[in-house]
Amino acid sequence: MASSSNVILDSDMVQYAPLIILLPMLAFPVILFLGRVFNKNPFWKNTLKEGGLIALPVMAASLIISLLLINDHIGGFAGIKDSMNLLWVNTAVWDGGALEPVTLGFGIYIDHVTVMLLFVASFLCLLINIFSVGYMNTDPINDNRNHRFYAEFVLFCSGMLGMVLADSFLWLFIFWEIMGLCSYLLIGFYYERPSAAYAAKKAFLTTRIGDVFLVIGLVMMWDIFGSLDYDVIFNAVEDKEFMAGVSSSTLQWALGMMFIGAVGKSAQFPLHVWLPDAMEGPTPVSALIHAATMVNAGLYLVARMFPFFGAEALSGDLVDLAFIIALIGGITAVMAAAIAFVQNDLKKVLAYSTMSQLAYIFTGLGCAMYLANTLDWHNDSESHYIVVVAFGAALFHLFNHAMAKGMLFMASGSVIHEVHHAHHHLHHHDDHGEGEHDDHHDDDFDAQSMENMGGLASKMPLTATAMLVGSASIMGLPLIGGFWSKEGIIANAWRVAQDDPRFLLPAMCVLIGAGMTGFYMSRMWLKTFAGKPNNEVAAHVGPTNTWIKIPLFTLTFVTLSAIIFAGMGFTHWAPDSEYAFMSEKGLVEGIVYEMEHAFANSDSFFFILTYVAIAIGAVLGPGIAMSLYGGNLAEGEKAKPWMKPVIRLNAWVYSRFNFNNSSIAESGLTRALEQRLYIDYYYDMAMLKIVAAFSKKSAEADSAVIDGTIKSIERGSQSLSSIVRSLTTGSARDYILMISVGTLAIFFFLWGVA
Amino acid sequence: MIDPAWVSALSALLFVIGLGGAFTRKNAIIVLMCIELMLNAANMQFAAAAVHHGDATGWIYTIFAIAIAASEVAIGLAIFLAMYGKHESISLDDVDVLRN
Repeated sequence: MASSSNVILDSDMVQYAPLIILLPMLAFPVILFLGRVFNKNPFWKNTLKEGGLIALPVMAASLIISLLLINDHIGGFAGIKDSMNLLWVNTAVWDGGALEPVTLGFGIYIDHVTVMLLFVASFLCLLINIFSVGYMNTDPINDNRNHRFYAEFVLFCSGMLGMVLADSFLWLFIFWEIMGLCSYLLIGFYYERPSAAYAAKKAFLTTRIGDVFLVIGLVMMWDIFGSLDYDVIFNAVEDKEFMAGVSSSTLQWALGMMFIGAVGKSAQFPLHVWLPDAMEGPTPVSALIHAATMVNAGLYLVARMFPFFGAEALSGDLVDLAFIIALIGGITAVMAAAIAFVQNDLKKVLAYSTMSQLAYIFTGLGCAMYLANTLDWHNDSESHYIVVVAFGAALFHLFNHAMAKGMLFMASGSVIHEVHHAHHHLHHHDDHGEGEHDDHHDDDFDAQSMENMGGLASKMPLTATAMLVGSASIMGLPLIGGFWSKEGIIANAWRVAQDDPRFLLPAMCVLIGAGMTGFYMSRMWLKTFAGKPNNEVAAHVGPTNTWIKIPLFTLTFVTLSAIIFAGMGFTHWAPDSEYAFMSEKGLVEGIVYEMEHAFANSDSFFFILTYVAIAIGAVLGPGIAMSLYGGNLAEGEKAKPWMKPVIRLNAWVYSRFNFNNSSIAESGLTRALEQRLYIDYYYDMAMLKIVAAFSKKSAEADSAVIDGTIKSIERGSQSLSSIVRSLTTGSARDYILMISVGTLAIFFFLWGVA
Repeated sequence: MIDPAWVSALSALLFVIGLGGAFTRKNAIIVLMCIELMLNAANMQFAAAAVHHGDATGWIYTIFAIAIAASEVAIGLAIFLAMYGKHESISLDDVDVLRN
């Protein structure tokens, strides 16, 4: 690590950082309590939006403090770290010999990774809060229980912000679990619906499997370093004398255990099964889990491990783990994208897309860690540059994906909301607002199914635009958001594959995955917004409300302006970066540099790779989707001018290249994909066969051995006591006799002893 | 002066008579009298021992025991009255509430 990177800044803002976590955490009981007391009160319901407008200023305050904090830490400084310790508990640990004093404190730890996730979390939490007011409070099914939603929402945000800011793995784990709890509560928001209750349970238990491994990893960490504080651990890792006494394979196991925790939280293969079911929660919850908080937690944990891989003392020792991280990412990227091909539920497509994109980030992180672990990046400036860019690309994809996915979920929520309302308007003129129907699934009409949409581009222009920009960013269309980071991840995967042939598999996966992403995202947009309305309901959809429009507009702007972020993003958000373009080279130069490197790479291999990736991700994938789905809008419907070219192109491709895909659509592979590759089925079977059988056996053992022992003791004492009971005649004279005999016996006994 | 040994023997005899009576008799008042007899046997033994050792402690114990015996009789008779009120009898055979 460069010496300049350990500067501890004496920033004023950092002392206010705990407020970022505390404000939402305190809002949690306040909203819950007020909601209990004032439930059904018209002022509470209409003016305060059942707590939505209490949560809003709180999240806004968190965002403002975060922005001020970020402002202090971005720009001018190379390698920024800031930490603050609020002492909490002084205690002692028994380690066999003497008692060793330990301070368990809560502190704030800020570096580039923190800064980026802090922005993503606080910014999206605020936008989702605004969206929730427009989404939750306008649906009668949620009336009088929205305070529960907002209370759990702010606690969820508090958990994420706390996890990002915390200064030790212990606190990371505590906030991590707060999020686990809140995800359970929010996914099961409609707990009266069995599928939602099941999904909540599944999410909770699946992530719990990962958490068990995370705890094991943390215990191993404690065993190695004697502390869980980032400062202590990261300094120890740099200390060559200390590291000489540490077994690198033990450390690799510890990190591997922690990685399994991240796999569970970020829904990667094989612990991905909870994520699609999590769509049972209200749409703002999906946006929150998929964009702002939950799934990013796993990525954050892996990004936090970077100093281990970057340590000189461990050079070359952690290559296997880096490979496993990249491999899990590669497998998940392709698998989730394939399942997304056949989903008809709008939100499910997005759910699998989340899984796939997170897998990209994992692959990117794995490759960056391989590079950091093998290259001599501390001394060689060229290697340093490669490592920083690789790491930055993965984190930048996290940023782009969070922004785009937050937008996509909110836009899909807006579509579902309006389709649902149109359906109501058409079929329930009389009983609109009665509480008997189920959220969006009443009388067999599925408002989330893309079969009930189509041609919405002219009816919901802003939503369609947001969805278009978001899809473009996820697909990686050149110049838009995700393009920069996705190209970076693919390029780095191939860079590593040149060095280590094992990495060819994840590298192939991310390259193919780019084309698959192009296909399923285009398919989703075209089925929803292009073509003719599929039924009467879709023909009557109206525009959405202002609360929903604000976040959509904001995020569209952010995603489009990612070209600007690209200049600084690639290189600035890596820890210990010495390339801060904003300060060193300026904005314009940074952008020009990015353009040159993306499109005119001097290395011929990467030059070809870039264009191959663009060809399959931005031309082939969307092209096939266009030939199969969509088409011209209905007669007399007009799309906004910026969407017209897309729809015209779609209509042309559709009429020109349309082919019959029924043979593919009915193949066994499609069946398997529709059944999510039977993975859920096998998990359930394993549960039934192994766990249920084991439970039955242990129940038998319980009744035979444990209960048997206790029952025989009980029976013995019962028969003994019935004998003893016959001695108690109740007659005073018998008792006197017994006392006398007893006294005599004691007397003779004592006499005999004496 | 009578030899304290004889007094001890008399005390032991009285005690055994009292004990036997307490075991065998039904009438609660007789049982109470037997208990008094045992107490007095003990008192006599105290007195004999006091004479034997030339120590006043035994005398003092005797006085305490007589006081206790007096209060015990008062309480015992009150209990019998209450017992009679409840069971219409003071026969110990009729009283087995400790068992049932």
